[in-house]
Amino acid sequence: MLNIVFYFQVHQPYRLRHLNVLDIGSKENMFDDRLNRLVMRKVADKCYLPTNALLLELIKRHEGRFKIAYAITGVAIEQFKLYTPEVLESFQKLVETGCVELIGETYYHSLSFLYDTNEFLDQVAMHRDLMQKEFGYFTETFRNTELIYQNRLSDLIFEIEGFRTIITEGVDRILQWRSPLYAYKNYTKDLNLLLKYYKLSDDIAFRFSNRDWPEFPLTVEKFTNWIDQLTLAEKSNRNQFLNLFMDYETFGEHQWAETGIFKFMEHFPSEVLNRSHLGFATPKECSTLANYQQEGLSFPDAVSWADEERDLSAWVENDMQKNAIETFYELLPKVKEHGDPVLLDIARKLSTSDHFYYMCTKYFQDGDVHKYFSPYDSPDQAYIYFITALADLEERMR
Amino acid sequence: MKILMFTWEFPPLISGGLGMACYGMVKALLNQGIKIDLVLPTKEMVYFPMRKESDVDTLPAIFVDPILHSEYITNEFQTVQERLDFIGVTHKPETYFQLNEITSYISQFQSEFWQATSQTTEERNVWDEISFNLIGDEDLIKKVQEYTIRAERFAKILDYDLIHAHDWLCYPSGMVAKKIAKKPLIVHIHATEFDRAGGPGDERIHKIEHAGMTYADRVIAVSQYTAQMIMSRYRIDTGRIRIIHNAFSVPEDMNSEKLRIFKDPTIVFLGRITLQKGPDYYLDVAEKVLQSHPQAKFIMAGTGDMARKLLRKSASLRLKNKFLFTGFLNRKQVERILRASDIYVLPSVSEPFGIAPLEAMAYGVTAIISKQSGVSEVVNNAYKVDFWDVERMVDTICYLIDNPDICLQMGAQGMIEVNRIQWDEAAEKIRQLYASVISESLKSSKGGF
Repeated sequence: MLNIVFYFQVHQPYRLRHLNVLDIGSKENMFDDRLNRLVMRKVADKCYLPTNALLLELIKRHEGRFKIAYAITGVAIEQFKLYTPEVLESFQKLVETGCVELIGETYYHSLSFLYDTNEFLDQVAMHRDLMQKEFGYFTETFRNTELIYQNRLSDLIFEIEGFRTIITEGVDRILQWRSPLYAYKNYTKDLNLLLKYYKLSDDIAFRFSNRDWPEFPLTVEKFTNWIDQLTLAEKSNRNQFLNLFMDYETFGEHQWAETGIFKFMEHFPSEVLNRSHLGFATPKECSTLANYQQEGLSFPDAVSWADEERDLSAWVENDMQKNAIETFYELLPKVKEHGDPVLLDIARKLSTSDHFYYMCTKYFQDGDVHKYFSPYDSPDQAYIYFITALADLEERMR
Repeated sequence: MKILMFTWEFPPLISGGLGMACYGMVKALLNQGIKIDLVLPTKEMVYFPMRKESDVDTLPAIFVDPILHSEYITNEFQTVQERLDFIGVTHKPETYFQLNEITSYISQFQSEFWQATSQTTEERNVWDEISFNLIGDEDLIKKVQEYTIRAERFAKILDYDLIHAHDWLCYPSGMVAKKIAKKPLIVHIHATEFDRAGGPGDERIHKIEHAGMTYADRVIAVSQYTAQMIMSRYRIDTGRIRIIHNAFSVPEDMNSEKLRIFKDPTIVFLGRITLQKGPDYYLDVAEKVLQSHPQAKFIMAGTGDMARKLLRKSASLRLKNKFLFTGFLNRKQVERILRASDIYVLPSVSEPFGIAPLEAMAYGVTAIISKQSGVSEVVNNAYKVDFWDVERMVDTICYLIDNPDICLQMGAQGMIEVNRIQWDEAAEKIRQLYASVISESLKSSKGGF
């Protein structure tokens, strides 16, 4: 049996205003409410609302056999409440079906794991509380921001009551000859590991509408046949997991409705369920479905799902990124010590990884992706606004 | 006394110190009863007859074409800006500070026109310098060509006793006017190509500068520093050079009341972020000061071709959130930055004069200025340091941070001093120079040559 595990990332950052030194001390909002509202409204209309409606319909149609998982960041939920409360309601309806798993992560979609363990644990706890409060859901699977993972992460997550599975990227340099289709364990064999099957995930997320791609157009039948072929290598009836992980905004936002992405998604579950050896599962189910001894995998260095390198270089490679993030994590304890909850909230919104992603200067193929996702003209400007925000934050404490 | 004046900048047509200097100078000259016909690089062919002091703000204009002029005077303009838009005065003239993209030379200039009327070998050489060097494909060179061709019209239709041309862009025009009207020419050096480029610069511009200074009856240098440069680099006869320092008129609507952005000591660099201004030295200074005084805040205000490089370098030095870039600032924003600053640093590699430090001092900001600047010759209440002497600048800033009273006192004294440096004094010197050059030229029918 091959189980298709869909996990969708739902996230919207608080983008900064074009801050100037002269704004420091003005006590005005550092974030660009107008732009943030605009983006949320646009993405809600193009992606969240139509995709949620479609998936809810599919879950009902297939009577418990079609399942999906979401990781929804705290900052996304906050902005749903501010700008598009109907989106939050539609997610709540999805969770009520019982066919949706919610995945735990850092509330602010931050890189705190790499810089500040206490902050990381705080943000994970905040997120779990939020999932309880908004959905009545207790998270059992964890994913770190941008699927960043290394051995130390599993140590931390194992210490937190209730997490049993972590999902991350199926990085070739770790897997080597192994297949990402099996459930693994972390290096201490305490937690399950599910690994993204990046080729088929990216076929949907990135290549679906690419006319230069030899496989264009991607039909439901073709895609399901590829999945079928994956099962041929498995001769001893071990349960496989095809982990299709992607940004939720793939549907309708990165791949517009005109590309046929919704039609694809509408017909994909029935095509899968028509084949007896294929099905759907959510990440937490892997612990009961794994009918074999799971191999422990060691990740000595950090991996992520970003860019060709699948490392941290999208966020902390150049000097601007390093100066920005190091300054931030030096400032954060001072903000906590200062004790003003308003300033701590601002600081934590600045911990969102997107701010550092905007400063990325890798201008090759991946640079295009960075540019697409950035609200600013250049990495240098993103850096100026962020550093100015940090100067302002520090000044507000005095 | 009536002057035909060529300048590339005049408010609102302004990109640097030249426009501000011309504004103060013309205003003060008008006050002395001198009449000036001003020619700017406008889109339409107009000149500005300046007769009374207020004309520097209203900019009355006359179109050379009578039909256009009658259309212009019947037009009802709501604002000065609307009127200037009609004339084609833009807010940002093409900057002439960066001419480093020399690709192809296209000779569009009519070298025969220049040479036909030449008399002596010496004079021919001067014109050859112009015709061989005022060629190029850049927008700026084309604009200068256009401006020079127009100068012939103005030279013929206007009536004047003397021609005054500011900086190399206007030298060819001044020369044409002198040739046609046989009136004396004064060229005014606000900056040479050596200053602007922070290195050798563009060969063509050197030649044009040399030709202009050679052909002129007198050369005004804005400082001793510039006079030295003219003598050593351009070999201009010292007898024809006059040093007249620039001044600074405190604007009437200026608000110099202190305004704090940072509670901690704030140090500012304000100007074009380009080699000439020494911004890289400023960054070195900041790094060293922050080692002993991490509470200090350094602001780098302005834009320029080195901004990106310095931004990246400030990040690589891990100056945290202590070294901040503002990007482009308008005049009101500049005022707010100065009001919020304690120490102003001008580490210019080569600054013929430098009005910016005077402006900073007018706000009571304690100034540290490069010895390689003309302004250092006219102020006493400022710290003067060689641009390359990073250690000295670091020590000075640390001393001022540790002794805020002394910093405040120096700032206050500087403010008083700057208020005494008025254009009237400079204008009086210029008037005297005009008078002596005119009488000299009347006595000698030959003029300069």
